[in-house]
Amino acid sequence: MKTSISWLQKSFDAPLPHPDALIDAFTFHAFEIEEAAGDLMDVKVLPNRAADCLCHRGIAKELSAILELPMKRDSLREPIPTFPQSNMLKVDIEDNKKCLRYMGAMVCGVKVGPSPAWLKDALESVGQRSINNIVDATNFVMLNIGQPLHAFDAARMQIQNGAYSIRVRQANAGEKIMALDGKEYVLEPSMAVITDAHADTPIGIAGVKGGSAAQIGNETQDIIIESANFNGPLVRRAAQKLKLFTDASLRFQNNPSPELCAYGMRDVLDLVVRVAGGAVEGVVDIYPTPQTQTPVQTSLARINGLLGSTFSREEVAHVFERLDLSTNIENDTFTITPPFERTDIVIPEDLTEEVGRILGYDRVVPCILPATTISPDQARYRGIEFVKDFLVDRGFTEISTQSFSKKGDIVLANPLDKTNPALRTDLVHNMQEALTKAAYYAPLVLPPNQKPKLFEIGTVFTKEGEQIVVATSEPVKDIPALQDNKDYIPCLYELGAFKPFSIYPYIVRDIALWTPAGTNAEEVLEMIKTQAGELCVKIYLFDTFTKEGRVSLGFRLIFQSFERTLTEEEVNKIMAELSGILGDKGFEIR
Amino acid sequence: MEEQGHLHPLTVAIRDIAAIFGRMGFGFAYGPELEDEWHNFSALNVPADHPARDMQDTFWTNEEPRRVLRTHTTSVTIRELEKMAKSGETEKRMICIGKVFRNEATDMTHEAQFYQYDGFAVGPTGTVTLAHLKGTWERFYREYFGYDAKIRFRPSYFPFTEPSVEVDLWFEAPGKKGRWLEMFGAGMLHPNVLRNAGLDPEKIQGFAFGPGLERVIMVKYGIPDVRLFHSGDIRFVHAFDIHQK
Repeated sequence: MKTSISWLQKSFDAPLPHPDALIDAFTFHAFEIEEAAGDLMDVKVLPNRAADCLCHRGIAKELSAILELPMKRDSLREPIPTFPQSNMLKVDIEDNKKCLRYMGAMVCGVKVGPSPAWLKDALESVGQRSINNIVDATNFVMLNIGQPLHAFDAARMQIQNGAYSIRVRQANAGEKIMALDGKEYVLEPSMAVITDAHADTPIGIAGVKGGSAAQIGNETQDIIIESANFNGPLVRRAAQKLKLFTDASLRFQNNPSPELCAYGMRDVLDLVVRVAGGAVEGVVDIYPTPQTQTPVQTSLARINGLLGSTFSREEVAHVFERLDLSTNIENDTFTITPPFERTDIVIPEDLTEEVGRILGYDRVVPCILPATTISPDQARYRGIEFVKDFLVDRGFTEISTQSFSKKGDIVLANPLDKTNPALRTDLVHNMQEALTKAAYYAPLVLPPNQKPKLFEIGTVFTKEGEQIVVATSEPVKDIPALQDNKDYIPCLYELGAFKPFSIYPYIVRDIALWTPAGTNAEEVLEMIKTQAGELCVKIYLFDTFTKEGRVSLGFRLIFQSFERTLTEEEVNKIMAELSGILGDKGFEIR
Repeated sequence: MEEQGHLHPLTVAIRDIAAIFGRMGFGFAYGPELEDEWHNFSALNVPADHPARDMQDTFWTNEEPRRVLRTHTTSVTIRELEKMAKSGETEKRMICIGKVFRNEATDMTHEAQFYQYDGFAVGPTGTVTLAHLKGTWERFYREYFGYDAKIRFRPSYFPFTEPSVEVDLWFEAPGKKGRWLEMFGAGMLHPNVLRNAGLDPEKIQGFAFGPGLERVIMVKYGIPDVRLFHSGDIRFVHAFDIHQK
């Protein structure tokens, strides 16, 4: 949620602390801050708070509780006026599980034009574009208190017997709508649409985007404002299918309270009249099942018993007060009736979390678990590790490979890699592939003349079920079975830091030279290593024999670069130079 | 004489983890990688319409009923809690280390398959608290990294824990300035999860955690790319000096 600090400041008389202090306050008591620059903070609102905190009021409310800064005013605690009933607008909801509430307002005689500077500035401060005073008013109220709003041009809708008619219904299969982004969308029955009921034409994709059919234009005079609440999953799936993610869909998919519609309507009507003139003719409110608040009860013992803390009754009571949660305290029992927008507070543990985060988890003192009487069961794990240790002892190196395969008994409905849509039925195929690669890499990583031996222990998936199996790159006759072993103690190892390796191909060159008897091969190796330079990543003596008092030393040099593929030519050049230098030192190259 | 083979760094880490948690009384549990929807989602209090159940986040089989490649080893936690409800035990501590799957594009820090070392400790109400979660992890990191590790909690959200926290580790790489690293999510098991396992949340409570295994290994040994782990490439296994402890 892109949040402007100066916007937040409007909720407080006292100046807000430095942005760094704000970031800390959010990070340790509410939400992570993804990014902060100047006036702008990107607040990563947690999913359980997205119903009430995807707006400046919600963020300010949190800040007020965390920093104990009283809010100048909280628009969600100010009364809702009684709106006059509209005579010019009818609203009808086909399915009130999809649309929980629909408020429509008729405003006549507005004058569309540019927004005043303060409104433009506010929108631009959070990266929004100013469009016109009407649209800006709806966006401002959404960003301020979280209620998505939409305005339609009444003149572009049909009127019958002096009244407009809006119907929220399921979209027809293949129904098309031109949206405000200028693109045409083909709808499905899983989506809901806002229609001009007299014409039965869609004027908006419910909860997602308005249609261009009733778009506000410069000539617009009479408008219909929508402040509604649509089912979260319905909106999320529609946005996903249409690949149309909007500020409205983001909010609706998090199930904000339908109570919020009235606050949104109150604020947007105020603002529209203020910035575009006109008069509110009336409002229609279809709200079949009003939200009810269920009190949640908890106790001091319950809170401290879960957190392992020693918070006092006063501290806890004060947290609820800071959060503006209406609380009834009897002895050590707290009965809280959450405000309508806090749909996340349902069970006692939700209140425990509020106490923990507001007072701060740094106040939870680490405590070691008491000794347990139950001896931990690690038998299966130890049985598996026993086999691994056996194989390592036999010179096998462990690998881990991917569980997906080209063919198998179990096929995925949605593979990431379409060429590997199934789950492996054995480890053999991956083992062969790994062995081929290992044979190529062997000169780089294995001691001279050692061929790679590999094993993997992993899960395979067959018709009979899944099981953990062992695969080795060559047969091991006496390999122990995978079975529980409660007493085996697996070997522990110390690993050094990761040594990066090059992903580029390597080149091998051998050089053999006659040396006088008594020559130290180690010294010759060191000399060759120095002369061969940095590109020589590995060198070893691979052959020695004596003939007529002279010793032939055969060295293998492996060249590889971290930056590029080496060419034969450059390695040949290094070898030629090396031969020259060795010749100068009196060695005869064979 | 033939040289010893090498263990994969994952195994080296799994053994360290199993040993440290073993000393704190944790067993080592296994469960299926191909899970039913109940154990991966429903029992863990993940709502039916939660985005994680969508096709773009999770691998589903084309069977009827569909199964899921587990998205976390928390599925093993719920299976262990179910066993507990059947046996009538009142305390249990388990870690479950295993492969998990996410249907997401891979890059240096993301793989479609990786390991988690989930775990939980439960006991009679009041005996296993968030303070114990903190103590357990401070001790784990101290033993695993071998220095005076510090951790801190930040508020977070997961459907299966309440309260939920994000755990940060103060990490000082050799020769570098220390910094806080975001490590994993944890919290106190949600009453619905205990209830779904057949336990009475008024009588049993406890914590659960779900860190990624590759992540902690990458931090400890300075590994730059998570994709190296399951590449079947022996250069990776050989990219460490290894000594038996």
